[in-house]
Amino acid sequence: MKLEVEIQGRLRAIELEPTTSPGQYRVTLDGEVIEVEARLLRPGVLSLVVAGRSYRAVREDDAPAGNGGEVAVLVAGGRFPYRVEDSRSLKARRARSGGHDGPKAIKASMPGRVVRILASQGEEVEAHQGVVVIEAMKMQNELKSPKAGTVVEIRVAPGDTVSAGDVLAVID
Amino acid sequence: LTPFRKILIANRGEIALRIERACRELGVATVAIYSEADRAALHVLEADEAFLLGPAPATESYLRGELILDIARRTGADAIHPGYGFLSENADFAEACEVAGIKFIGPTASAMRALGSKTKARQAADAAAMPRTPGSTRALASLAEAYSVADEIRYPVMLKAAAGGGGKGMRAVARREDLKAAFEAAQSEALRSFGSDEVYLEKLIERPRHIEIQVLADEHGNCIYLGERECSVQRRHQKVIEEAPSPVVGSDLRRRMGEAAVRLARSQGYTNAGTVEFLVDAEQNFYFLEMNTRLQVEHPVTELVTGLDLVHLQIRIAQGEPLPISQQEIELRGHAIECRVYAEDPDNGFFPSPGRITRLLQPGGPGIREDSGIYEGWVVPMDYDPMLSKLIAYAPTRELAIARLLRALDEYVIGGIRTNLGFFRRILSDEGFRSGRIDTGYLDHLLAEPARRDADAETSDQTVAAIAAALFEALRATPASPVQPPAGAWKSAARREGLRG
Repeated sequence: MKLEVEIQGRLRAIELEPTTSPGQYRVTLDGEVIEVEARLLRPGVLSLVVAGRSYRAVREDDAPAGNGGEVAVLVAGGRFPYRVEDSRSLKARRARSGGHDGPKAIKASMPGRVVRILASQGEEVEAHQGVVVIEAMKMQNELKSPKAGTVVEIRVAPGDTVSAGDVLAVID
Repeated sequence: LTPFRKILIANRGEIALRIERACRELGVATVAIYSEADRAALHVLEADEAFLLGPAPATESYLRGELILDIARRTGADAIHPGYGFLSENADFAEACEVAGIKFIGPTASAMRALGSKTKARQAADAAAMPRTPGSTRALASLAEAYSVADEIRYPVMLKAAAGGGGKGMRAVARREDLKAAFEAAQSEALRSFGSDEVYLEKLIERPRHIEIQVLADEHGNCIYLGERECSVQRRHQKVIEEAPSPVVGSDLRRRMGEAAVRLARSQGYTNAGTVEFLVDAEQNFYFLEMNTRLQVEHPVTELVTGLDLVHLQIRIAQGEPLPISQQEIELRGHAIECRVYAEDPDNGFFPSPGRITRLLQPGGPGIREDSGIYEGWVVPMDYDPMLSKLIAYAPTRELAIARLLRALDEYVIGGIRTNLGFFRRILSDEGFRSGRIDTGYLDHLLAEPARRDADAETSDQTVAAIAAALFEALRATPASPVQPPAGAWKSAARREGLRG
């Protein structure tokens, strides 16, 4: 089977072919052929022997990686977020996100509670100016504007509980 | 002298579990308390009895002294172990326990009052003829007084909460014009964190080491010190790595610091475990900083180099037993280093990262101790300190202890939330840390430098990650996935080859 994996911003074409020997795969990665021996140890934990080197790869969660959803694999102490999509939609999305114009959202990077709003709707802000303060685990974090512009929308109020990825404000 | 039969543990997380384990080892039954956010926490699962306190915020749960005391009474607990944080340094709570006839495992309320407040401790240090940092020994009454003390001891100065701990309510002030804002910020943070807005001022010692002495005192007048812990690797005044012994403390300095610490403890009739913190300057002068009247987070490094179990000893002292060891019998062997593993994202300003731990592979093997309160599937709540575990290595030498920690960090996998595990790899590989040239500013300097990367290793890891990602996706083959289920041949081949385990 053929897959396209976007990993750390790099698009990689991978073809997996089972061979006749158990657990053995012929992997073609961006045209390069690599011999891989794989064992699923338990859900989410894979042992790989790649060209004689042994690795343990852990898929971070059970959520699907498709439709723009991002999951990550952990390998050798590194965390590698990835997406798997069919090549057409991936290209379209990359084209869309290429430009810097248009409104930008400030999203909660982590779950927490909104403590303060530092800019009001209609206010002009500089790039990297703080807009919303979130608290989690007794620590406050100022979420900054991704660009210079006008605050067109503030979607939260102090005291609100937010989840990672929630849109807090929109800057245009 | 009646041994305790049941102990209520007034804490949560790794330390509650640590104390439960000690109780089990001593044949003592345990009572856990928990907030609504912690019903599934490990300290609840592992206890003999468990009682709900209330909603998640600490003020509605772990800080409800009267309710906790009431649970102790109802369950017939003989004693309460407060752990660290929460009620551990609350003298009113210790006193309420005394009145109720339930033993508080720690010092008496009066010793805690005399030493727990940093300003009173500074007065006690003067009385015990201990060197301390120049500055005020009482709470500042006003901003005007802050200006006058700072002018007298000269900038840079440090503002600290009298009731403080853990870096809260602390502000370094380099210039006179910054004092007002810092004073107000320190006061409000102190009020928020400790319920008291008392702050004092002391001279800021340039590039000090933070070195502390563990003391143990029984209720029969015996008091000993168990060597030092080097805690200079700090970020925002929070300890990140601790070790014992300190790379720079020789036997003479250790003895002088240890004797000063014992002098202070004795002068206030201190009992049970406590820690006397010092700053040590480049010339090896030491200055009393404060006393922590409780068990410390980093107590395991002392346990490893002394071979003692501090929680066992705390319980035995509280039962009225004399110390089973004398100062002469304390022998330090080997080297121990602890990493405080946090749910936080070093790539995103160390912002806390609560959430579900989806995967957990824990390290083990020779010389590794992991004190944790986590398990796979547990949701790290957003309401408390984000410490997940303490990873501790013990070895004959410092060099080998570092090697063991690095090896254990490679074995340790925590998925689903961000952690600072990678950050420890960086510190432990850094030449400055490895050579022992550390002071409390060390970590800030390291963080100001760009991380050195091994580009070749990263590329090969990324390649492996991409292959793993493809295999995981191929294995998923769920209808929700946009990845088309492979041809029948692939699925049956996968099954045939046992890839699904």
